[in-house]
Amino acid sequence: MTDNHESEEHASDTSIENKKRRRFLTGITAGFGAIGGGFAVTPFVLSMSPSERAKNAGAPVEYDYSRIQEGQMIKVEWRGKPVVLLKRSADMIAGLEKIESNLADPDSLVSLQPSYAQNQARADSNKPNLLVMLGVCTHLGCSPVEKLALGPDPEMGEDSQGGFFCPCHGSKFDLSGRVYKNVPATSNMEIPPYKYEGDLIKIGEDEGRLA
Amino acid sequence: MKTFFYSLLSASFLSLMITLPVNAAGGHGAVLDKVHMNMADKSSLQNGAKLFINYCLSCHSASYARYNRVAEDLEIPLALLQENLMFTTEKTGDLMTTTMPEQDAKRWFGVAPPDLTLVSRVRKPNWVYTYLRGFYQDESSPSGWNNSLFENVAMPHALYELQGVQKLVGKLTPEELHELDGGHGEAQAGDYHIVGDAKFELVHPGKLSPAEFDVAMTDLTSFLAYLAEPAQLKRQKIGVFVLTFLIILMGLCYLLKKEYWRDVH
Amino acid sequence: MAIHRHDNHVSANAFMEWIDRRLPVTKVWNEHLAEYWAAKNLNFWYFFGSLSLLVLVIQILTGIFLTMHYKPDAALAFASVEYIMRDVPWGWLVRYLHSTGASAFFVVVYLHMFRGVIYGSHREPRELVWLIGCVIFVALMAEAFMGYLLPWGNMSYWGAQVIISLFEVIPFVGPELTEWIRGDFVISDSTLNRFFAFHVILLPLILIVLVFLHLVALHQVGSNNPDGIDIFENVDENGKPLDGVGFHPYYVVKDLVGVCGFLIVYLGVVFFAPDLGGILLEKDNFAPANSLQTPPDIVPLWYFTPYYSILRASTESLLFVFAIGSGLGGIAAMVFTKYDIKIKIAIALVAAAFVFIFLNSSGKAWGVILMGSALVCFFLLPWLDRSPVLSIRYRSMPFKIALAIFLVAFFVLGYLGMNSPTPMRTLVAQICTVIYFAFFALMPWFTSIGETKPVPDRVTYDEH
Repeated sequence: MTDNHESEEHASDTSIENKKRRRFLTGITAGFGAIGGGFAVTPFVLSMSPSERAKNAGAPVEYDYSRIQEGQMIKVEWRGKPVVLLKRSADMIAGLEKIESNLADPDSLVSLQPSYAQNQARADSNKPNLLVMLGVCTHLGCSPVEKLALGPDPEMGEDSQGGFFCPCHGSKFDLSGRVYKNVPATSNMEIPPYKYEGDLIKIGEDEGRLA
Repeated sequence: MKTFFYSLLSASFLSLMITLPVNAAGGHGAVLDKVHMNMADKSSLQNGAKLFINYCLSCHSASYARYNRVAEDLEIPLALLQENLMFTTEKTGDLMTTTMPEQDAKRWFGVAPPDLTLVSRVRKPNWVYTYLRGFYQDESSPSGWNNSLFENVAMPHALYELQGVQKLVGKLTPEELHELDGGHGEAQAGDYHIVGDAKFELVHPGKLSPAEFDVAMTDLTSFLAYLAEPAQLKRQKIGVFVLTFLIILMGLCYLLKKEYWRDVH
Repeated sequence: MAIHRHDNHVSANAFMEWIDRRLPVTKVWNEHLAEYWAAKNLNFWYFFGSLSLLVLVIQILTGIFLTMHYKPDAALAFASVEYIMRDVPWGWLVRYLHSTGASAFFVVVYLHMFRGVIYGSHREPRELVWLIGCVIFVALMAEAFMGYLLPWGNMSYWGAQVIISLFEVIPFVGPELTEWIRGDFVISDSTLNRFFAFHVILLPLILIVLVFLHLVALHQVGSNNPDGIDIFENVDENGKPLDGVGFHPYYVVKDLVGVCGFLIVYLGVVFFAPDLGGILLEKDNFAPANSLQTPPDIVPLWYFTPYYSILRASTESLLFVFAIGSGLGGIAAMVFTKYDIKIKIAIALVAAAFVFIFLNSSGKAWGVILMGSALVCFFLLPWLDRSPVLSIRYRSMPFKIALAIFLVAFFVLGYLGMNSPTPMRTLVAQICTVIYFAFFALMPWFTSIGETKPVPDRVTYDEH
């Protein structure tokens, strides 16, 4: 500090170069530090994703579908949600065609399903009469009630071909889970991935198959 | 004066550093053989897993561990694990619980067999390795077996078909142990086999020779060490990366500090 | 519109002007960072303050993520920790960061305290900084102790059992008090649940408030320096100390180097030796709590062991030594001081009372009292230290010798506390306990004798 004057002179000589170097060093250190910060945050963020226990609980469930009678519907639980297993009769399948003009997304273009279920029956083409579907309304997540009887129904209308009716906000779906026009829900009910192994249906896993 | 002060300080630190590890290794005076594990040797860990599931898991549980995690970490194909190693119709992600009901276990053995997930962290691998090799025939005990490291243990010798049947000849004195100390672990004194401080004689040979059995038990001990802390397989690899990064960052910070402190005279 | 502005800090732009009229951002930035003048000769010992703050942040962050998966229930706690170690993605890392962080906290805090002692940072005018720091230290011990119960391992269980039982020696209310603390007749689910509440809410809150007060008090009086001199005695025309530099950027960039160095050691332990040979994670704690089976040696974690040694060393023979010490102290005060006769008589009576108490009480009660007193001693330091200079650089030889002996005794006590007692070890622990208390009791004497070196007017600084 005794040579204050001298040091100021010295500083002004090299000040531009100094500033450049200082800015460069600050930048590179901050950049490196930010990368480190990114690495540091990652484990914490990932620690909130599903644990091995949750993954195991959410692992595929198996069900012996040969026990389901024609026209009968049962529900199984997969990842804490109800999965509808419905073996549709020939009449039910035939009904799908009749009401297509009333549907919002008859070809399932904006709805969630594996590619092998993007068809009128919304089912694997090898077993088109078996509907495998998440029993969850696409509006706000309630569980629609099934209306399996064909014919007049207070909620589904005079000419009902069967379907699902959501008691929460009145959304209507047909027996393929396709949503009607002019109801709160705007997309068809979701089809989970599934595959057949002998008499067993395995819900939650399709090994990435397309058909 | 400063030097006097710092030398006293460092002397006290040094004396601590010297005395600490000695004490940590000592334990309670039991003589343990040193196990030579190689956690990077996947085939050793796989063999250990096979032994564990075949010989241990029917009575003991490993109820904090999951089958699929073991398969993934040890590079065992999941299908192989399901077919050969899993006996029950469990999901591959299930915990490795035992099929033996605890009440039955208490009736048969007097105590319920302890969970083995963390045994290697509670007992340490050398203890496990010595214990597994220390079973001998003893008519006076209810199970017909005894253990040189864990006297009057309730557990029978689950691995006798591999090791065979050995009889306790005697315990070595500290002097004899000291003499043997060069080849500790695989020490053979004449026809006798030394485990810890116990001298054994093989009465009926098993499927494996004594040397093969020691290797098998090394595998099993390694697997138990893995099972107690699955993260250890990757934590050191990540650590090398993290420390390298930090050393570079520290270099940069040092240069930055130098740069700013040029202002200060 | 009357907006009261008490400062003349210049806002950087119109936006900051708008903010500064409503929230004193520029003012706080300047007063506590850019124009917080710290002596330019602070050495590596001064890293440990900012590092303590860093570890506090690490512990709080990792703690938050652990509470997302941990279950404070005696039936589930142990398994939930193993669940974190195995099933939660990266849970093992979060847990090791927290368990290693607890020890790292004490390492940096002990070094931070030692820095205070050697450079006289506890002395006038920084007594309150020191006192608040001592309260932080005690709160941190409580925080660590309660946290140690949560994994619900066998050492957790029996450690808590032993420490809570200490309160039984309190006269009249002891047994009822321990039951009240536990919420049960044994350590149980109730104990675990309330310790969880204290560990994750109450004590962190207290610690944050105390750390804030610690910093406010520090910034009121300014940071000390290794020369122990007041840099505000030499200021320029603007009131800036000639030997001071702004905390930002100079000490910010310097502390970054310290932070990297610390992280290398800390993460080195986390990734390569998370149980550090049983020092950080004890092997008995990998077995679940078992109320029927005590582990072979119940030892606390290393940061408690000096005090634990003092607790165990407290037997009748130690009390006898203490009685002799009090007697001699009383006589010395009578003979060698120049106090008024009334004060001398008072001192003699107090000394006599102590002799009587030491000779007529049990070792168990005194163990607890001595352990507590060992902490209280730190609080008294600003008034026990009578040296005319602050920094060890200029202090007299008797102080340096006494401090060195104290350090050795402290380390030996810490070492003995990690090991099971033998008659020989207990004797050594007793000698060290006597040294520990003698250091504080005799401090007014040995800090006022011997020749101190002349203190310079300006700080010592070698330009690198």
